Amino acid sequence: MIIKANVKEALKSLITAKQRTILALIGIVIGIGSVIGMVSIGTIVQNEALKQFRDMGIDIVSITKDYERQGSDEGFNIDHIYGLPGYSSLIKKVAPYIVSSTQYSYMGQDLYIELMGVDESFFDLNKLYIREGRLLSDLDRNRFFCVIGAEAASILRKAGIKDILGRQFLFGERIYTVVGILKSLPEGGGMRPSGINRGAITHITTAMRAFTTNDITTFMARVDTQDSKAAKAVIENYFSKKAGGLRVRVRTAEELIAQMQKQMQLFTLLLGAIGSIALIVGGIGVMNVMLISVTERRKEIGIRRALGAQRTDIEAQFIIESVTLCFVGGIIGIILGIIISYVFSHFSKWDFLISQSAIILGFCVATAVGVFFGYYPARSASRLDPAAALRE
Amino acid sequence: MLHLIDIRKSYQVGPTAVDVLKGISLTVEKGELLSIIGPSGSGKSTLMNILGLLEQPSAGTYSVEETRITYDDDRTLSSLRNKMIGFVFQQYNLLPRLTAVDNVGLPLIYRGISEKEISERSMEYIKKVEMQERFHHKPTELSGGQQQRIAIARALVGNPSLILADEPTGALDTHTGQEIMNLFRRLNEEEGITIVVITHDPKIAAQCRRKVELRDGIITG
Repeated sequence: MIIKANVKEALKSLITAKQRTILALIGIVIGIGSVIGMVSIGTIVQNEALKQFRDMGIDIVSITKDYERQGSDEGFNIDHIYGLPGYSSLIKKVAPYIVSSTQYSYMGQDLYIELMGVDESFFDLNKLYIREGRLLSDLDRNRFFCVIGAEAASILRKAGIKDILGRQFLFGERIYTVVGILKSLPEGGGMRPSGINRGAITHITTAMRAFTTNDITTFMARVDTQDSKAAKAVIENYFSKKAGGLRVRVRTAEELIAQMQKQMQLFTLLLGAIGSIALIVGGIGVMNVMLISVTERRKEIGIRRALGAQRTDIEAQFIIESVTLCFVGGIIGIILGIIISYVFSHFSKWDFLISQSAIILGFCVATAVGVFFGYYPARSASRLDPAAALRE
Repeated sequence: MLHLIDIRKSYQVGPTAVDVLKGISLTVEKGELLSIIGPSGSGKSTLMNILGLLEQPSAGTYSVEETRITYDDDRTLSSLRNKMIGFVFQQYNLLPRLTAVDNVGLPLIYRGISEKEISERSMEYIKKVEMQERFHHKPTELSGGQQQRIAIARALVGNPSLILADEPTGALDTHTGQEIMNLFRRLNEEEGITIVVITHDPKIAAQCRRKVELRDGIITG
């Protein structure tokens, strides 16, 4: 009951002192806005990163030759890779790939479209789907066909090339015919080779003939086990025996996710720290405004004390006023934060999410700032000598 | 009802102590209409603050209805002010943001009464001071005399047994001041409320049934 009357009172007094209220609000809005914006962006980034694993499954591993621990800089032997599923039933499918350093030029301008060489299972493991035309299959061995990524297609269209399907392009010294355009893929996550959206893909056998550097440095595999450690051991063992002590680095989806979550935690912590600094500055603004408010209303405090308000009533009145102020700032800040994260996700072409926990956090933090920074002014108001306050 | 024995009050002003009240002994009976008269600087405002439990005397004892005030508990003092005493000030001291009804209801807020009941009782007391035309006006929209009537309604709304009025007519013209005094006399006669009026005006003091003269911190008559 007293709380309700106090909130009404607080709103009235905040409205009366418009300018001051707005100035104090700006600090809180920026503080809460940046906390919410940053937490939301963190959530969006994390969601985007995990989306790849939801897409591809977590039974995928990526195997890289461990260059750090051996002298030879030759890549994998492709026959060794294809021998892996026959060696252990834990390995279901393998997909080696090569990335060329050649880039595509069109009418004198570099369009930065990279060409990759892959085999049929690569499309399946990476969950690549066709938007127009057809996918490559192992029947395209040694043939100069390619499919291109969604972004690469739009780059070409922007450069003025229509009718991409069936068109021939010169990559390096060879001419490739485009047979398909891929659907757009979510970026990030670290499992899928990067740049598929912006690249072109031909069959690996074609690539090995055409590319100047044709080392296979990485391949992917689907494993058939809950125990990724066992699969990891099998693969390491295989290459060590088969390829004369070749050491490989196997990265499982689990490891990548764990690593990513660790990074996200750090990221969130950092963003949270920046937001907190903004909030402290905002909070000091609120404290300042509340102190001015107390000084200006000494007479009112005296009157209320004379009419029977206890010290705790006066304290409650000013804390409620400060919490109300912060709460209003919190609401605006939350809206601002959501707008910031929307703009961010819009320009990064990532899925926009509203993080409920961020909103709850926003309200909690706003209230806490109100109580914390309102306490000292409220306390000094309640300690005023009523007779002296009335003489003002 | 009120019993003061050898009340002293001194303020520390810089290095020197200023004695404002130098031993006041006074008894106010229930149902009295008493004036305390004295020139400015005589200590009458300090005396009123002590009577109203807004200040603690430096020495002496003050008892309200046989209970000695100990000044160690804010809750008890606030509750006594809220339930037993109604204040009327020279400058009315209404809160400018609030309407007449909300101003009058202020003492009741601190009793945890429902909002509806507060506004009902406030209106009842505004009618009593004949201000029912001005329920939702703010203080700045009222004349001095009207504001003082609202202030009196606020003093009465908590149903106190004592009204302390500090120069209640000081900011009003003679005619309006007389109306306020008439209101006090009516309240005293009809409702038996004890009223203490502090004034420097002998004409106001003359309308009270008992007069106490204060000069330089002591009672002279």
